[in-house]
Amino acid sequence: MEKSGSVDSLGSRQSSSRQPSVDSLSSSSTSRSDRSSQAKPASAMSSDSASTNELSPELRQQSKLPAKLLRGLNSNEPQLLPKETVQDTAKDVTYICPFIGALRGTLTVTNYRLFFKCMDRDQSLALDIPLGVVSRVEKIGGTSSRGEVSYGVVCKDMRNLQFAHRQPDDTLKKSIFEVLMKYAYPISNSLAFFAYDYEQIFPENGWKVFDALAESKRQGLPNESWRISKVNDHYELCDSYPSTLVVPVTIPDEDLRRIAAFRAKGRIPVLSWIHPETQATVVRCSQPMVGVNSKRCKEDEKLLQAIMDANAQSHKLFIFDARPSVNATANKMKGGGYESEDAYQNAELVFLDIHNIHVMRESLRKLKEVVYPNIEESHWLSNLESTHWLEHIKVILAGALRIADKVESGKTSVVVHCSDGWDRTAQLTSLAMLMLDSHYRTIRGFEVLVEKEWVSFGHRFQMRIGHGDKNHTDADRSPVFLQFIDCVWQMIRQFPTAFEFNEYFLITILDHLYSCLFGTFMCNSEQQRLKEELPKKTLSLWSYINSQLEEFTNPFYVNYSSHVLFPVVSMRHLELWVGYYIRWNPRMRPQEPVHQRYKELLAKRSELQKRVEELRREVANKAASLTSERAGSPTRSITPVQTFV
Amino acid sequence: GNGEIVVNEANFVRKCIAAESSQDDLWGKLICTNFKISFITHNSIPQQKFQYVHHLLGEHDIPLACVDQVVTVNDAKGKQKVLGSNQKLKFNPTELILYCKDFRIVRFRFDEAGPESAKKVCLAIAHYSQPADPQLLFGFEFAQSRQYGSSGNIIERVNGVDPGGGCQTPLFDRPSDWDREIKRTGASEWRVCSINEGYTVSPSLPEYFVVPASMADLDLKQYACSYTGQRIPMWCWNHSNGSSLVRMSSICDVQQQRKLDQRVSSAITKSHPQRSEVLTSDLDKTLPSIQEVQAALIKLRQSCVIEPFEESEEKWLSSMENSRWTEYVRAFLRHAVEVVYMLEGKRVSVSLQEEEDRDLCCVVASLVQLMLDPHCRSLVGFQALVQKEWVMAGHRFLDRCNHLKKNDKEEAPLFLLFLDCVWQLMNQYPAAFEFTETYLTVLSDSMWIPVFSTFLFNCPQQRAEYSREFVHSKSIPLGNEQALKFPPVWDWSQQFTLKDQTLFNNPLYVGKGATCVQNGTVKTFRRTKQRNYSSTVRGVPSALKNGLRGDVDTLSRRNSLVARLRPDFSQAREVTETPCERFTREWFSRPTDLQGLLLPQLLPTHVTLWRLYFLRWVPEASISQGGAITAFHKLSLLADEIESLQNQLRQYNTSGGVGGTPASTPNPAHPEHGRMYFKCTPSPNRAASTPEYLSSSFPFSPVGNLCRRSILGTPLTKFLNGAKIWLSTETLANETV
Repeated sequence: MEKSGSVDSLGSRQSSSRQPSVDSLSSSSTSRSDRSSQAKPASAMSSDSASTNELSPELRQQSKLPAKLLRGLNSNEPQLLPKETVQDTAKDVTYICPFIGALRGTLTVTNYRLFFKCMDRDQSLALDIPLGVVSRVEKIGGTSSRGEVSYGVVCKDMRNLQFAHRQPDDTLKKSIFEVLMKYAYPISNSLAFFAYDYEQIFPENGWKVFDALAESKRQGLPNESWRISKVNDHYELCDSYPSTLVVPVTIPDEDLRRIAAFRAKGRIPVLSWIHPETQATVVRCSQPMVGVNSKRCKEDEKLLQAIMDANAQSHKLFIFDARPSVNATANKMKGGGYESEDAYQNAELVFLDIHNIHVMRESLRKLKEVVYPNIEESHWLSNLESTHWLEHIKVILAGALRIADKVESGKTSVVVHCSDGWDRTAQLTSLAMLMLDSHYRTIRGFEVLVEKEWVSFGHRFQMRIGHGDKNHTDADRSPVFLQFIDCVWQMIRQFPTAFEFNEYFLITILDHLYSCLFGTFMCNSEQQRLKEELPKKTLSLWSYINSQLEEFTNPFYVNYSSHVLFPVVSMRHLELWVGYYIRWNPRMRPQEPVHQRYKELLAKRSELQKRVEELRREVANKAASLTSERAGSPTRSITPVQTFV
Repeated sequence: GNGEIVVNEANFVRKCIAAESSQDDLWGKLICTNFKISFITHNSIPQQKFQYVHHLLGEHDIPLACVDQVVTVNDAKGKQKVLGSNQKLKFNPTELILYCKDFRIVRFRFDEAGPESAKKVCLAIAHYSQPADPQLLFGFEFAQSRQYGSSGNIIERVNGVDPGGGCQTPLFDRPSDWDREIKRTGASEWRVCSINEGYTVSPSLPEYFVVPASMADLDLKQYACSYTGQRIPMWCWNHSNGSSLVRMSSICDVQQQRKLDQRVSSAITKSHPQRSEVLTSDLDKTLPSIQEVQAALIKLRQSCVIEPFEESEEKWLSSMENSRWTEYVRAFLRHAVEVVYMLEGKRVSVSLQEEEDRDLCCVVASLVQLMLDPHCRSLVGFQALVQKEWVMAGHRFLDRCNHLKKNDKEEAPLFLLFLDCVWQLMNQYPAAFEFTETYLTVLSDSMWIPVFSTFLFNCPQQRAEYSREFVHSKSIPLGNEQALKFPPVWDWSQQFTLKDQTLFNNPLYVGKGATCVQNGTVKTFRRTKQRNYSSTVRGVPSALKNGLRGDVDTLSRRNSLVARLRPDFSQAREVTETPCERFTREWFSRPTDLQGLLLPQLLPTHVTLWRLYFLRWVPEASISQGGAITAFHKLSLLADEIESLQNQLRQYNTSGGVGGTPASTPNPAHPEHGRMYFKCTPSPNRAASTPEYLSSSFPFSPVGNLCRRSILGTPLTKFLNGAKIWLSTETLANETV
């Protein structure tokens, strides 16, 4: 049985749960600990304000809490998750807050989190950070005159922490920061991720959100031109691809095997999305291994021709190479390259000029320098410009827009690839699909999109994020998925009514990209995930999200079907996502959101509707009784009273 | 019949729609009148599905006062000339480019027009857009014909009431308006003074204004001579704690300075119930000059509309920074916050001082009141504020707008800067204002329609003088009227239908009788006392305190533990924090009360470009079927539904509930219009879709204003033009095949 919150197991789990009173109040949650990593309004969220961090949403919904519990909330110890255990606690630790200054308190390290509670009388500050967020822990300088040692903790979510504490007198005893390093890097220390221990009951099993066959069926596949191939059932054709592949009916499996040898990492062209009316398709793959000798592959050429033929609307095929043409050409030296126009008749190749993972990592590093801890007010915009972050966001969005436009307006099928087809390709296809298909703009649809284009198609989350790995300088790390979410946020900004989810949904996804509480973003491929039995042994992020949809719902959502979004890809409209990148700064109070006011108006409407309905009935009754009196008849309600809604 | 006459015209003129191709251009007649430049076309432009009709201007019309520069071009000869008034043109123009003050750029081509008529119409436009005399401004003809009819006979007013509701706005041209303002703000120690009747004391002050009750008229008259422009200190506003806001010009008589300062200060102190001191805020020393503000706008315009879209993309952010426009917006907002701190936090009176007291003071005095006084955030309250602190206080609209184009050095967009500041507040507190950004934009555009008393003159005295002279020179029989009557801009029916005016109404507005929801039930709260408004957050119903906090707040959270757990950083803060910063920080740590004090966030991340205003004519920047208007649309439907439910309730209540068929009785307050522009359709299977004509520049569609007609249909062209810079040359070569 898969690990999930099936209701029948509820009784036994609860009794075995070590979670004390607090958790028994919450029926479905990852509980308080997570809240620290979630986007509450900045006043609540800023790392240095305790306020609502202390409260799980469930607790807040309990209108009357016993006094005992309230005291518990202010305790010095974190509210532990089931199976979470304290590994070490140190008193008299100083947290050097960049916004407030030095604060003394107690630091606790568990197998899941780092928890600091300020003990100064006037401060109610608490830091509560999942260890998965920790990128680097390092000693800064030597021992001070007071016998204190400083440690810096660099986080993956745009903040750095600095602590100072006295070395234990007992030289054999480990410093709490050594304990921290052990549990922050389970991979490097041959430990299991906390996700494998974590247990929680959710009403829904998020692992079932995405089913490749069901999603194909939703798209009308298989059909007369496209079939579902079992060639990769055991990941023999391509170990980083999903088992279910959609390919043209005219290409037999043995051709696919030959094509796999011609495409980098065996990532052959397969269908991601098909237009319900025009049959134009979005196809993804990796670069062809043409090399310096311009090698060709007959089957590959046949496949691309078949993709074109499957769409009667157009006699052309567009190949979008995500890379700058210089990079694509350079790849020829390493055996890769791009499709030549000689080999692929009727195909047109377009380079989208998106830079590689190293450029993006460097850009994010610069961005962090500019936004944390404080921004320089007088040169904010030029500093932001110098990071090129928004420029990269723009190029990615522009590429996706070109793809969406070709498919929608040009009714032409497109093939998208970069080098390996798991980073830039995933960004482009998923964003283009988000523009083309309103289903992906619902909460569940978006979950499917992420599961499909990112998780199942082998975006290497483990490698790009470096979960639990102490090697923080690893050149394979890169904010590829973060850029995708940033692009989605830019689209939400431009189309405030087109998405069912809100900004908080996106921030929650990003927080759990790093937290390692859920299995959703662990491992590098579907094959690895199955091998590790993640769906059985860990929980899905979507279980958590789908159990409290209201928090993630955009009240302005208008479900207009078959509406294609063409965002304006211009610096005039792109903005830095302050609510994510600068949320730790207590001065970054979010702008007053209108959502709350909207809810108030909704409540007012229903109240008014109720009163109108009551009056309508009253009037109807009076009219009826009048009529009956006049008619002297005992029959009631024979006179229809005009009503309206 | 409104006094408009055709001056010159040319046929077979082509209006350029797209920047690079001519296929969508329109053919028609270019007309110059004494009011506007008109373009009459027989080409059918794709009809907009929404009707936003301007009573004075057609879709292609540009008021002459809106024209900033007239540029004529002859491409064959490679010649170009900026045309001034009464200038000669030595070549036959093939093209006319009009750079407008509202950021539009309009191009006409004369390829098929007669060379002579093309030249003539260009010269006419140049001449009439730069009138030599204020009386040549169209407003005078307009006012005359409106008042007396074209035949010169006095027209009887049908019922003597302006239908547009402009009359609800006090104009502060009579003592009673000031008296009401004194009462409203509880300024009991202040009085209306009439020493300036007939403008005998100061030419730039209004005839009536408010001074400390303890100051005698005789003294005031004596003091006046020592102030620049004889502008003795003038009261603006009172805080409910007794502190007051006063504005004044500098003292030009240095020998008198000390004595005067003392006398005036002690009089203001006497008017404070706690006898608190008076702090002076010297605006000239701390804020950018009007020339700097003007330079910033010119740079901003350069980046927004003049530079080619694609080329300016790469350096967009730094060009925004270099223009310094948002930096100045922040500076004015910050200064206003400091004054707010003195009035509210220190409970002392403040006197704003500026050399002439006619520019920076207008911005700061009105911003302070917007932050402190929720009345100023209602539509009528805002209009009264502009009337009081700008029009009556003698902001030189005629010079700052440069209507006569005589002195470019005097031109400065102070009022636009103020509207931008208001927009920033509105952007940060979307439910705090009764009006919308459409309203602010339309108000700004009205500056360039020279018929309103609001924006035509440098001060009330000038209006009186000019209209007297005009009446005299035209030998108009005066009748019972004392002078020409120019409509104030607040008479919106001069420009828009009642239906279109509903675009000014904010569906989110939390007004005085605001509804708040607590634990799922709806309560309506009304402030019990008039004077409660400025007692800020603390005195106001607790239910609203958390009103708009946090987009993920659940309703039940507001009375929860949040407040108790809110951190107080006060102890640990560095000592470098100024008292004002501390005041601001503490205010931000509390829940916002939209009917109380509002402070803006001033970080550069929170003060952004007012896109609707500055980018509305740029087709490439228009988000089709997107932008804030789509959320506005959805909110309007809900607000409209609530309104119609309330009407139903009212009708049930009035009809006594017996045999009531409420649908048959229309809403008595507004016979045919609700408050919302967008209506919820009461059909059971209502389509919730957003109208296709909405875009981020709604309702200022760029159609017909240097844009592609087909913009809505093909995102491809739009995209290719917007993103060329990102394509490799190879791709471009492919693209053109």
